Amino acid sequence: MKPKSVKILLAALLVACVIALPRVVTSNYWLNLFNLAISFSIACLGLNIVLGYAGQLSLAQAAFWGVGAYTSALLTVKLGWPVWLGMLAAFAVAGLFGVLLGIPTLKLSGHYLAMATIGFGIILQLILVNSIPLTNGSDGITTIPSPRIGPLKLSNANTFFYLAAVSLILLVWASLRLKKSRVGRALMAIRENEMAAETMGVDTTFFKIMAFALSAAYGGFAGSLFAHSGSHYISPDTFSFDQSVVLLAMMVLGGNGSAVGSVVGATLLTLVPEVLRFLKDSYMMVYAAGIVAVMVFMPGGIAGLVRSLPISQRLMNWLNAGGPAPSGLSESGQPPSTACEKAPLGNQRPASEGPGRNGTLITVKGLAKHFGGLKAVDAVDMEVRRGQIQALIGPNGSGKTTILNMLSGLYVPTAGEIHFDGVAIAGWKPHSITAQGMARTFQNIRLFGELSVLENVLIGQHSRSRSGLVTSVVKPSSQRTEEAVMCKKALEVLEFVGLKGKEFALAKSLPYGQQRLLELARSLASDPKLLLLDEPAAGLNANETEGLIELLFQVRDRGITILLVEHDMSLVMNVSDHITVLNFGKKIAEGTVEEIECNQEVVDAYLGTEHGGEECLA
Amino acid sequence: MDLSLNFQLLATGLAMGSIYALVALGFVLIFNAVNVVNFAQGEFVMVPAFVAVALMTALKLPFLLVYLITLIFMAFFGIVFQRVAYYPLRNRTFLPVIISTIGVSIFLKNAAQLVFGAEPQLMPRPTPPHVLNIAGVFIDPQHVVIIAVTLILLVFQYLFFEKTSLGKKMQATAQDKETARLLGIRVSRMIVITFVYSSILGGAAGILIGPIFYVSKEMGAMLGLKAFCSSIVGGFGSVPGAILGGLFLGVVEIFSSYYISSAYRDAFAFIMLILVLLFRPQGFFGEKIAEKA
Amino acid sequence: MLSVEGIEAWYGAIQALKGISLDVNQGEIVTLLGANGAGKSTTLKTITGLLKPAKGHIKFMGQEITRREPEDIAELGIACVPEGRHIFPGLSVMDNLMLGTTPWKGASKPEIKKHLDRVFQIFPILSEFKDHLGWTLSGGQQQMLAIGRGLMSNPKLLLLDEPSLGLAPVLVQEVFKVIKEIQKAGTTILLVEQNARMALLIANRGFVLETGKVALTDTAANLLNNEQMKAHYLGAHAHVREARQRRQAEPRATTA
Repeated sequence: MKPKSVKILLAALLVACVIALPRVVTSNYWLNLFNLAISFSIACLGLNIVLGYAGQLSLAQAAFWGVGAYTSALLTVKLGWPVWLGMLAAFAVAGLFGVLLGIPTLKLSGHYLAMATIGFGIILQLILVNSIPLTNGSDGITTIPSPRIGPLKLSNANTFFYLAAVSLILLVWASLRLKKSRVGRALMAIRENEMAAETMGVDTTFFKIMAFALSAAYGGFAGSLFAHSGSHYISPDTFSFDQSVVLLAMMVLGGNGSAVGSVVGATLLTLVPEVLRFLKDSYMMVYAAGIVAVMVFMPGGIAGLVRSLPISQRLMNWLNAGGPAPSGLSESGQPPSTACEKAPLGNQRPASEGPGRNGTLITVKGLAKHFGGLKAVDAVDMEVRRGQIQALIGPNGSGKTTILNMLSGLYVPTAGEIHFDGVAIAGWKPHSITAQGMARTFQNIRLFGELSVLENVLIGQHSRSRSGLVTSVVKPSSQRTEEAVMCKKALEVLEFVGLKGKEFALAKSLPYGQQRLLELARSLASDPKLLLLDEPAAGLNANETEGLIELLFQVRDRGITILLVEHDMSLVMNVSDHITVLNFGKKIAEGTVEEIECNQEVVDAYLGTEHGGEECLA
Repeated sequence: MDLSLNFQLLATGLAMGSIYALVALGFVLIFNAVNVVNFAQGEFVMVPAFVAVALMTALKLPFLLVYLITLIFMAFFGIVFQRVAYYPLRNRTFLPVIISTIGVSIFLKNAAQLVFGAEPQLMPRPTPPHVLNIAGVFIDPQHVVIIAVTLILLVFQYLFFEKTSLGKKMQATAQDKETARLLGIRVSRMIVITFVYSSILGGAAGILIGPIFYVSKEMGAMLGLKAFCSSIVGGFGSVPGAILGGLFLGVVEIFSSYYISSAYRDAFAFIMLILVLLFRPQGFFGEKIAEKA
Repeated sequence: MLSVEGIEAWYGAIQALKGISLDVNQGEIVTLLGANGAGKSTTLKTITGLLKPAKGHIKFMGQEITRREPEDIAELGIACVPEGRHIFPGLSVMDNLMLGTTPWKGASKPEIKKHLDRVFQIFPILSEFKDHLGWTLSGGQQQMLAIGRGLMSNPKLLLLDEPSLGLAPVLVQEVFKVIKEIQKAGTTILLVEQNARMALLIANRGFVLETGKVALTDTAANLLNNEQMKAHYLGAHAHVREARQRRQAEPRATTA
């Protein structure tokens, strides 16, 4: 049986279950519980986008659920709007609140972000409680109407179930499609390594806000489902920090990053406490102890547990034949010819024109960076000529990496100008500089560890591709063409650096030397004019360094200019057309290899007598 | 400007702030030692409060004896907490640990309810119940006790960490566990001591604040969250930051709830938090820890 | 003094050491060489107790120390200067050095003072900066502090993990000079290094690791002349000039 027909069969089975369930489960109590579970599932799906995909710890999901519930309830009860419109409004208004939360918290991460979102949620809840004329305060809102489809009123739990189930299935489908797309990869890149994502061309500001907005919108929609069903009553107590914690627990139980897992986790944690009710007073304690136990023994959640079973790996390989495999599911690589979908006939992007060999690519004038009183870089002038390999050397703390960071946009210069191919880029954000044609690698390798080698390189092409949120979910033929072209290019770059056959390995599983090559491949994938390399030979032995030297020459021969920071003199002396030497933030010398070796100031400050001084004419 | 009123508010604010400071301190010490955000820190205050009330009402023991027994109980609590809640999670990543400490918090709250009952209880005061009149300013003597005891604890804290060899070893453990082990420092012992110390601080906070608030299973929840706010406002990971952040937050909260709105009393701590995170994320005393490229 | 036999060690599912055997005699500098990922630091970790080997034995001065805790091993007289320096950033230079005396049970005040003076004599800059906090020191100074701290426990065996990592070439030469001096003063040293050439210039003997096994062992002088070593590990300097001259002579492949 072919994978495609199995997928159709599974879909049909799912539809059958949905139709059958309200007939099998006739108790109103349990149907309401299922509807509640679906509402929670959708909220968790939202949390999965902002936390599972984008890695932003948001503990305000219950607040967005509340915003959606109240928006829909107020519009339908007080203004008489039709319910379906109220639900859409809930989706939109909650999304807006998500943007409101995303913008001020952009620079935060980890527990800072968690605390800020908790604060946001608590403040929102207090507003709901205290705006009595608007929201009835603690009394809540009653007699919230049921949705209508034409003349049919979905006032029973079993009829409402169909609406809820269909919404859930659509939203799960959308989440899954999102994950395997340019937008999904951008979000996961942010999660894995935000700094690297930004320098690979991902506009992290935009995507983080998008993640917050989407997750809040999902949450708001879930809240409105809750409001228009069950007891048709909402009050501010339900939308507390404790509830956000429950949603978080549901998502992590299901498996952080798994859409289906979120649904499973939410359903389990909604239904299981019912089963535990016989424990009466100690049931919450058992529930809490259970959560702790799951975290200790199964931190990857149910999805993690299922994925680690060998049978699931083979199953997923087979089901996904014909498309790039999701990360982590296939360790034994598929033959590369099936790694990329065949591209539907469409426009291919024109190959980038080969740059000329002459002229200056980068001009730096008076560049300075002060950290408080410390002058890390003090009025440096520098040029990088097109088509050359140039090295920047100097003792630790001389300002080399700081200059690299200013060129790539990670630092804003305190003073000075940077012109890249005629464009003034000082102070630009890294992703814009990448789009202009500059790419970089890092001293401490910054790969997207949990993603596959292929996905890492695809993210490198982020600035050379265009699919947005809608096309990533809908996947029209233009998107599929773009993906196929990107995939093909990624395979070419991987072959160039020598990583052919490793497309589906997890980036973090590669040995050190290959991780360095992958970082290089990822940067090359963006078709840069200039490649900035930060200590590319760190940790490589002499053999591997030789290999790197060869590779760098090949990169230069393709027309890409290279600027590298390095301590390994065997690399620098072998490879450089031009060397600039820094000390204490100032340029102290520049010239060819021979000139630098014989420069006494450089020898005293940095090279020592092992690498310099000898064989120089007095 | 009613000066005496403002002094009164200041005294109350400092008292509340002292409690926040103690809880924040306990929380920061654990974080520095084992890199865990302990969402159950508020329960470190709730549990001893219940224990103290039970000892006082059931056994009718004298105050100082009750306090002593409670603190000793908290020391053992710290040892058990470390073994059960932290140790199994010591190698897990960030997210499972957060959820786990939240789970422990829920467990403790409900366990307290099971053992001590669901009704909020009143802790008898060691200080006289009438306010003192100091130069026209009316101050609750319990507030004075809170501030005084906190000050003594802080002095002890400073002397211990900065002047004793054990204190230096604990600092070293917090800064680099693996290297500390290589130097022969018994790191697992240091970690247990940290949890015990943090629990005792929570015990002190619970004893001090019990007479002012109702002792209930939820009393620790807001306290814990506001303590986190304090440590972030003061500078996350910084011990003086946690203390000053707590005091600052307490004062801001009291003044704001009087002059601005008492309904939103709980919000002010979080508003301060968000403002600080927006404009000075390293807090007042934290170091700008920029990621190295 | 130290004998390591047949050590096998795992990181989760990955086998990092597949049967390592080496030995260090009193008064020697023995160097452990190899590429990144060959298992050099891992070997040190099994000796210091941070990683427990699955198989094999480690004996120090006749005592079995396999699988014992790092704190105990430190007390037996093995000091380790870890890769990446790892000084305590929030403590002063003085505090860092004094913490180094922790494993030296029964040390008297005058003995500690003597050691402190000796450390200040080898690294005068530490004396100048003794009240400065660790994080304010430069990379090279931190390396000095880390070595000084290791010496404070009066160790019988000093383990050094990549002391030249990340240091400017001129500082690297300083560090190796100091290591030789420490040996002359009587401390036995096991030196892990990627900079094979500099390490072999000061060592008595060397062990070369490749993917978890000992591939080669000999006296340092022999290793320096070994053809295999020259090809794989000693590349660096001698190679450079010849290679560059060769390339400059070749016509370059050009694109349009």
